[in-house]
Amino acid sequence: MKKIPYRKKKELYGYSFISIWFVGAVIFFLIPLVKSFLWSFNDVTIETGGADTSWVGLKNYVYSINTDEKYTLLLKDTLLETLWKTPLILVFSMFTAVILNQKFRGRTVARAIFFLPVIIATGAVYEIISGDLGRTGNISAGQFSTLFSTNSTGRLLQFLGIYGTSDRFNEIISATADNIFSIVWSGGIQTLIFLGALQNIPKSARESALLDGATGWVFFWKITLPYISPFILANLIFTVTDAFTSPINKVMRRIYSMRDDFRFGEGSAMAWIYFGIILVSVGIITSLFRKFTDEERKNG
Amino acid sequence: MGKVWAFFRFIIVMGLSFVILYPLIYMVSCSFRDRIDMTDPTVMWIPRHPTIAVIKETIEVLNLWNTLKNTLIINIGCSVVQVFSCALTGYGFARFDFRGKRVLFGIVIMMILVPIQIISMPLYSLFRNFGIGIFSVNLIDSALTMYLPAMTANGIRSGLMILIFRQSFKGIPKELEDASYIDGCSPLRTFVQIIIPNASSAFLTVFLFSVVFYWNDYYVSSTFFTNSETLGLMLKNIDSELKMRLFNTVAVDVDPREQIVWKEAGCLLSITPLLIMYVFLQKYFTEGIEHSGIVG
Repeated sequence: MKKIPYRKKKELYGYSFISIWFVGAVIFFLIPLVKSFLWSFNDVTIETGGADTSWVGLKNYVYSINTDEKYTLLLKDTLLETLWKTPLILVFSMFTAVILNQKFRGRTVARAIFFLPVIIATGAVYEIISGDLGRTGNISAGQFSTLFSTNSTGRLLQFLGIYGTSDRFNEIISATADNIFSIVWSGGIQTLIFLGALQNIPKSARESALLDGATGWVFFWKITLPYISPFILANLIFTVTDAFTSPINKVMRRIYSMRDDFRFGEGSAMAWIYFGIILVSVGIITSLFRKFTDEERKNG
Repeated sequence: MGKVWAFFRFIIVMGLSFVILYPLIYMVSCSFRDRIDMTDPTVMWIPRHPTIAVIKETIEVLNLWNTLKNTLIINIGCSVVQVFSCALTGYGFARFDFRGKRVLFGIVIMMILVPIQIISMPLYSLFRNFGIGIFSVNLIDSALTMYLPAMTANGIRSGLMILIFRQSFKGIPKELEDASYIDGCSPLRTFVQIIIPNASSAFLTVFLFSVVFYWNDYYVSSTFFTNSETLGLMLKNIDSELKMRLFNTVAVDVDPREQIVWKEAGCLLSITPLLIMYVFLQKYFTEGIEHSGIVG
């Protein structure tokens, strides 16, 4: 009997461990993915014997962009929202992670509260609470807490003497205050990932920085930030995909309603336009980020 | 300087905790008040007409005990099979070298990135005529639409779970497995007897997250599994359920503000089991992610 070489054997074991997943991935992921892409170029009707398709070229895409009265509007809104919310969520979760990494009384309780959104924010509950809070005017109309309403934020800025330095700045601050709920509630996992990164900063780095007399501020910029920068990218991608699949994403709801009308072709086209835009922008950001960190490394 | 920061930190932590807990406090406050309190502007937190009638009615509307039973069966069943299928896959990727590994792992990453909404329509037609030719069956509304993907490590967010397993298996010293190979164990037996006990916290973390994802899911179940009464689905349709079961007609006109009491009560009922689980097992939720070095 010919003996199978050890390397070959290990390779076979590797294949057998992933075989169950692979079969599933082909049936439940890859084929549907390709199909959905093809369907976006077809008229699709579901018959008893399967899906009936006829090639229509770019008609579904043209329909989504030109004819559908809601889609483009929702798409623009959602993309803009992702664009300005993502950096805020990242900054916020980094800030929270830094705080939760310090030692203070009640830290365990604080951590438990801060990660609470992780178990709630993916479900129908989140949809109801954000909807209800909006309806009773608690989010934006300032019943929430006087501090969070736009006017008092403005007053606070005036008090601090930085109001009116730039309109753009004021807008950003007001938007943050108005959306504090959704920002805080979308940052759970990101905070967790940053916290894990912070805990991996070696003690020796901290000690030598302290010895050199670094303040907390300098420490953050010179030690903390470089250490956690790879996690910024991961969190960025996570935040974007999370916004994508969120139960309160309006574009997805539109696609959802297309599916309920059995308009699979148009629905697929809408999903792919959205996915394409997200994928390309994530790709661009990733490569920019890589380039930037490589240069940093070269400059030492 | 330290004292000043400690003071500010206290303020910030308190403020943010309030923002996070606010909807939960509001939920509790709404669930135990009469609907007329919703239109009374003087009522903010403390109900003027406290009552447990709303909770009782909501239990009835949600058909809670039956719904809870359905949810738990699907949930735990899917989570258990999903944990093991993902663990096997994660182990394959963590410890063995084979041709095409990079491409195959790329598929895992794709599974994380591609939202279920993109593939849900072809999946619907797949389940509608599952099989080949005349041997195909209609699986829509059958629990198999949930179990089959979970069994093959393709369930809800399983890409993420494969990734977590891969990272935590990589953290286990290789010597342990080498020793067991020298003793003549097969890779599968090594996996069962050496890896599973050593990675038990990763298993628990993935299991808990899986339970949470299945608990919260309504997209997948509302696409393939419409007749079943699971909590996520009931909550999603609570508007119509309320009208049907509580007021016995769809045409009834109830002030949306007043409907909030039942909706919030429904939310409260559906997240209570998760909250209880979270209170006792919080450590595994957070530490699991931290230590797995999910992106490292």
